[in-house]
Amino acid sequence: MTLNGSKWGNVTAIATDLTDHQLITEFKEGSMEAMEAIVDRYENRIFTFGLKMCGQLQDAEDITQDTFLNAFRYLNSFREETNLKNWLFKIAATACIRKRRKKKCEPDRELSLESFINKDGTFETHDIPDWSDDPSDKVLRAEMKAVISDSIKTLPHKYKLVFNLRDIEGFSTKETADILGISIESVKTRLHRARLALREKISNSYREGKSA
Amino acid sequence: MKENCKKNFEKISEYLDGELGPDDCRQIEQHLEECPECRDCFDALKKTIDLCRKSAREEIPGDMRERLRSKLRDCLGGHQLSSE
Repeated sequence: MTLNGSKWGNVTAIATDLTDHQLITEFKEGSMEAMEAIVDRYENRIFTFGLKMCGQLQDAEDITQDTFLNAFRYLNSFREETNLKNWLFKIAATACIRKRRKKKCEPDRELSLESFINKDGTFETHDIPDWSDDPSDKVLRAEMKAVISDSIKTLPHKYKLVFNLRDIEGFSTKETADILGISIESVKTRLHRARLALREKISNSYREGKSA
Repeated sequence: MKENCKKNFEKISEYLDGELGPDDCRQIEQHLEECPECRDCFDALKKTIDLCRKSAREEIPGDMRERLRSKLRDCLGGHQLSSE
C-alpha cells in the first residue's frame, strides 16, 4: 500500500473517539491524520517508558522514534485481535534491549530476596514519604520525582523492564509476560524484588535528605 | 526471622496485586494483624508503589515531538508498508 505523504502538510483534525483499530484501518487506507492520532495517543507513554528505562533524554527520543517507525512499517502484520498499546510496548521493550546491547553494558546483576533481610533475620525499617497532591508543593514534588527517577534508574535492566511495565504502565502480570516473552512466575519474582529494592533506595535517599 | 514472616515477605507483592487465592489472603491478613514488623514492611512497600506511580508520568518535549513527526513523515511518506 502506498502512503500519500502530502496529507502530512495539512493534517486536519480526526475524531479523537475513534478506537485504535479504527485508526489503524484508516491509516492502512492512507490517512496520515490517523497516523498522527495514534502518535498523539501513545507518544507520552512510550517516551516515559524509554526515559525510565534508559535514563537519558536522547535515548528516550531514539526509543520513541524507533518504536513508532517500526510499528507503522510493520502495521500490516498487526493482527486484529492484538491490542495496539501492548504491541507498541513490545516494540519499545525490544528497542530498549537492543540499545542496551549496543552500549555493551555490564551483565545484569541479580537481586536476591535474602539481600533484603538483615543477617539476624530481622527487617530494616523503611520510612517512605507520601506523595503530595498539593500543587503548591512544586519544589518538594520535583525533588521527590528526582529521587524516584534516580532510584528506578539504578535497578538492574531486567527488573526495571518488569517494574516499568507493571507498576508504571499498569500492564497485568500476564500482559507483561507476553510483552517480554518471559513466564508469569519470572514477572512476579522480578517485580517483587524490584519493589523491595526501590523501597530501600527511596527510603535511604529520604533519610539522607532529612539529615542533610 | 520467623517462618511465617518469611512466607509473608515472599508473597506480599502478589497479595498487594490481588493475585493470591482466598486462603493465602486470609493467612497474610491474619499475620499482618499479629506482626507489626511485617505490617511496617507491607505499608512501606505499598507506599513505594504508590509514590512511583504518582510521580511517573513524563511529557515528550515539544522539539522531540516535532522531530518524531518529521522523521515519520520522511521515512513513511510515499513508501510501502512492509507485508512481513
